[in-house]
Amino acid sequence: MKKALIIFRKEIKEIIKNKSIWLPVIIITIIFSIAMPLGFILGSDSVLNDEDTLNFISKVFGSVDDPLRVLIGFMLKQLLIFLLLVPAMVPSLIAPSSIIMEKENNTLEPLLATPIKTSELLLGKMLTALVPSFITSTICFIILTIVVDIAALIKLGYAPLPTVEWVVVAFILSPILSFIITMASIIVSSRTTDIKSAQGIGAMVILPIYLIIGLQLAGIFLLNITYLLIGCLVLLAVCPLVLRLAVKIFDRENILTKWKMKA
Amino acid sequence: MIKVENLTKIFGNITAVENISFNINESEIFGFLGPNGAGKTTTIRMLSTLISPTSGKITIDERDPGSDGDYIRSITGLLTESPGMYEKISAYDNLDYYCSFYNIPAARRRENIEKYLKMFDLWDRKDDPAGTYSKGMKQKLALSRALIHEPKILFLDEPTAGLDPESAHMVRNFIESLKKEKTTVFLCTHNLEEASNLSDRVCIIKRKIIRIATLAELQNSDKNKRVEIVFKDRAERYARLMEGISEIKDIRIERNKALVIIEKPEDSNPGIIKKLIDNGAGIIYFNEIKATLEEIYLNLIKDEDVK
Repeated sequence: MKKALIIFRKEIKEIIKNKSIWLPVIIITIIFSIAMPLGFILGSDSVLNDEDTLNFISKVFGSVDDPLRVLIGFMLKQLLIFLLLVPAMVPSLIAPSSIIMEKENNTLEPLLATPIKTSELLLGKMLTALVPSFITSTICFIILTIVVDIAALIKLGYAPLPTVEWVVVAFILSPILSFIITMASIIVSSRTTDIKSAQGIGAMVILPIYLIIGLQLAGIFLLNITYLLIGCLVLLAVCPLVLRLAVKIFDRENILTKWKMKA
Repeated sequence: MIKVENLTKIFGNITAVENISFNINESEIFGFLGPNGAGKTTTIRMLSTLISPTSGKITIDERDPGSDGDYIRSITGLLTESPGMYEKISAYDNLDYYCSFYNIPAARRRENIEKYLKMFDLWDRKDDPAGTYSKGMKQKLALSRALIHEPKILFLDEPTAGLDPESAHMVRNFIESLKKEKTTVFLCTHNLEEASNLSDRVCIIKRKIIRIATLAELQNSDKNKRVEIVFKDRAERYARLMEGISEIKDIRIERNKALVIIEKPEDSNPGIIKKLIDNGAGIIYFNEIKATLEEIYLNLIKDEDVK
């Protein structure tokens, strides 16, 4: 564990010095936790003047007494899913660069020649992607909750957050998703030599999130606590599989002889 | 210190190293030479426990790399052929990072980092990101990294590649000085002069071992014993006479010099000299010429290719 932490500390030092990694993370945080919720809530009045929106509400929710309250609740469910993009995107930005930079800079071989176990190396790389992801997600959720509640209090007179669904997403689903994306990024990174293609392939793992957003907007599916818990269980079942695959790939000899290294 | 028995490494259907055996003693500098693709890097990787052999046995400091990999990695240092550094962090932090994996107390770690950065003239730029270093500076930094934990065994793959002559000279002197500290050095190099000057023994490999010997042993083999005869007049005049002497196996003539290969020169030379003088040759010098490692190496590789 000590050696994994040595790797983690060094990696964080490198991330701090690499703005191409942390700048997108800050932009994502600002967009998802400040800009989008403010836009949703402050623009909700004008949206309700639109006949199509009212038709959509009646189609999905039937007849409602307070369409504004229903609309805000619906938008918050969209935001909740959008927010899942943060724990998904942060590891897909960090993990490929952390692994591929080792290949590009020819630093893997000297590192593997030290008395470090490959499991410690893998753990170090995992922490490098998971910890910033967890911290960013938590910060995003906190900022978002504050922004939504203040805006809603001013505009509507009540604070809608947090809900049970939000807590499940923030503290159960997000870490699970981060873990899976981290493992997927590690697996993908071992098969490619440039960061952009690894991040591109890694980003494909995010596609199911877009699918959920699309299904909600189409009125086909509406996220609730049951679906969220089922989703958590399914993703939890996937975790050991991706971990096993990543551990298999992270074998000393495999890394040196089968990974695509830069000549 | 290092014992290798019948070592073979096969990747898919390619045999990188085939049935090689050698022993390396403590504080010996062992030159490991061979053309590109001869299996040098594969051998270094097996010895430094990075990859496992397909068959055969390695013993390092009485331990088996298969079961004692961590111990072996803790007593060995590796300079790879294309050494890389973490470019965004400082040279000091790079060394500190690698040194942290060796359970060396923090105070000694700082001492060692300072010692090697000063030794390789990098101390003044210790806080600069490694990415700003020149190729030669990176090579010196990589060498510092291989030495930072004071290993008993050092695997060096092209240690002077990319260095200016002054730095290369300094590195060679340093490698030589490691003998006094009882460090065993496994030296892979294409610089045959360097190998010749530094190595106690050289091993020439091309997938299989072609030859292991000291430079003197290689030079003393009959094939490599040559004599230069300097005549008062043109050597051409005595060509036919020399061709008639059965002990002379090969003659190359250039103006007043003849370079000849003589079978058993210790026994044959007095008779050859007498015969030449009796036939009117004016001999100014009759010198033994030692073949360079480069000549020996090229001959051995050529012979191997013919086989």
